[in-house]
Amino acid sequence: MSGAMIEIKDVNKVFKNTSGSETVALEHVSLDVGEGEFLSLLGPSGCGKTTLLRILADLLAPTSGRVTIKDKTPKDVRLLREFGIVFQNPVLFDWRTVRKNICLPLEIMKKSKQEQKVRADKMLELVGLEEYADYYPAQLSGGMQQRVGIARALAIQPQLLLMDEPFSALDEFTREKLNEDLLRIWRNTNKTVIFVTHNISESVFLSDRVCVLSPHPGRLSAIIDVDLPRPRRADMRGTPEFAALVAKIRNSFEGDLA
Amino acid sequence: MKKKAGPAWWRKAIVPAVWVAAFVLIWELAAFVLTQLLPPTLAIQKLPFLHNIAVTFVSNFFSLLESGWVTLSKSFVGFGIGAAVGFLLAVLMSWSKVMEKLAFPYLIISQMIPILGLAPIVYNIVRDGDVSRILISAYITFFPIAANTLSGLKSSGQDERDLMFAYAAKKPTVYRKLLLPSALPHLFTGLKIAAPMSVTAAIVVELLGTSSGIGVKILYTLYYGANGALMFWSSILMAALLGITSYYIVFWAERLCIPWAVAARKKAG
Repeated sequence: MSGAMIEIKDVNKVFKNTSGSETVALEHVSLDVGEGEFLSLLGPSGCGKTTLLRILADLLAPTSGRVTIKDKTPKDVRLLREFGIVFQNPVLFDWRTVRKNICLPLEIMKKSKQEQKVRADKMLELVGLEEYADYYPAQLSGGMQQRVGIARALAIQPQLLLMDEPFSALDEFTREKLNEDLLRIWRNTNKTVIFVTHNISESVFLSDRVCVLSPHPGRLSAIIDVDLPRPRRADMRGTPEFAALVAKIRNSFEGDLA
Repeated sequence: MKKKAGPAWWRKAIVPAVWVAAFVLIWELAAFVLTQLLPPTLAIQKLPFLHNIAVTFVSNFFSLLESGWVTLSKSFVGFGIGAAVGFLLAVLMSWSKVMEKLAFPYLIISQMIPILGLAPIVYNIVRDGDVSRILISAYITFFPIAANTLSGLKSSGQDERDLMFAYAAKKPTVYRKLLLPSALPHLFTGLKIAAPMSVTAAIVVELLGTSSGIGVKILYTLYYGANGALMFWSSILMAALLGITSYYIVFWAERLCIPWAVAARKKAG
């Protein structure tokens, strides 16, 4: 693939804890991500998938290896505010209404009031929360809160969207609904998405490619192309092709998963 | 489902009503027993009838209120100064670790000096009732505000800090948009603790013999024996009302300043 958007070259990450022992969170991870691609990082806990995402977000530095996003370091990308991030928890500010939460990054970037309003309106429409603009987060359900989190991440119009298990705290029904919403948003906005999850069928449903990470130490054990047609529909989850991909991914895990 | 008796306000009011009734009954009974055991002048000094105190309180209400207002207004100035100092100290200590290490031990030590000892010292130095009242009120106020605000400034989670970091927010922005708003409920906890304390502090100074205030009324009526007893208790009652008033002023200010806490109780469908 020519001109990958994200290049990850031989990244290692070692955590030292206070007693001096070392944990290898990532070992020799190399990966290219193309522009506009939807890529999942899939694995059990301890496989380093969140660590890898946090390195991309400049929330962690790799112990060795190199990461570039559009030929820039993650730090430069962060300072230019060119990625949006969604965490497992919605991380909304209680004292801000839905609209003001979405405006937060725009305020930090010192956008004009006029522009803030226009963008917030657009984002509210995108995630279908127009009616709830003036509600406080505590008044919303978990699924609605996470949609606000996504709207906030997209408000700065980033090229790259980093998502760290955004739906794992939600029930199955809400999760599947938000999976479809996310795909619709992705189709309409054309972002590159890095999506961390431990849910195999979620990763298959959403992604162009699934990167399977295995734990102890965290390493990339397989990259699986998901050749299901787009747009994906909820009923695809029941097809034999879907089941085959899920099985293929399950079989690609290495080592001790317990 | 069991059917509950009576309208909502009645169920809400019944428990406090029983408490008040029991309190009044026991007081009146104790006062009655004393009149049977002691000569009348001695009995009234120890514990006068509550209904007599109530009559005295009502007939002297405006003179009591005038004294009370003097105390309350002085303690409010001290409370304001103390709150501002406490708040600034908390921001400084959270801003820099060095500042916290320098200041915090001394803040703890400052709280070990009893106010009953400090008040005469300050009064003796400044020789001014108003200034002493303000200083002592401020002194007692600043610590609970500083300690609570500091823990409030540290209360926001790692995710929230990561979010601000990911958007490359500068430190003053992080304070304005995240740390200060999340410290607000803690600040109000400190204010609610400190408000009645600041009134008490002003009264303590007044007991040393300033020219006005509810504390002065308490002090003087104490020396008038049986004649002063009813007025003494009325002054105590006024002092208690001042403390309660100061608490509720802060309580309502909190509801105005933290609308999201009120809104949170009304969940969307």
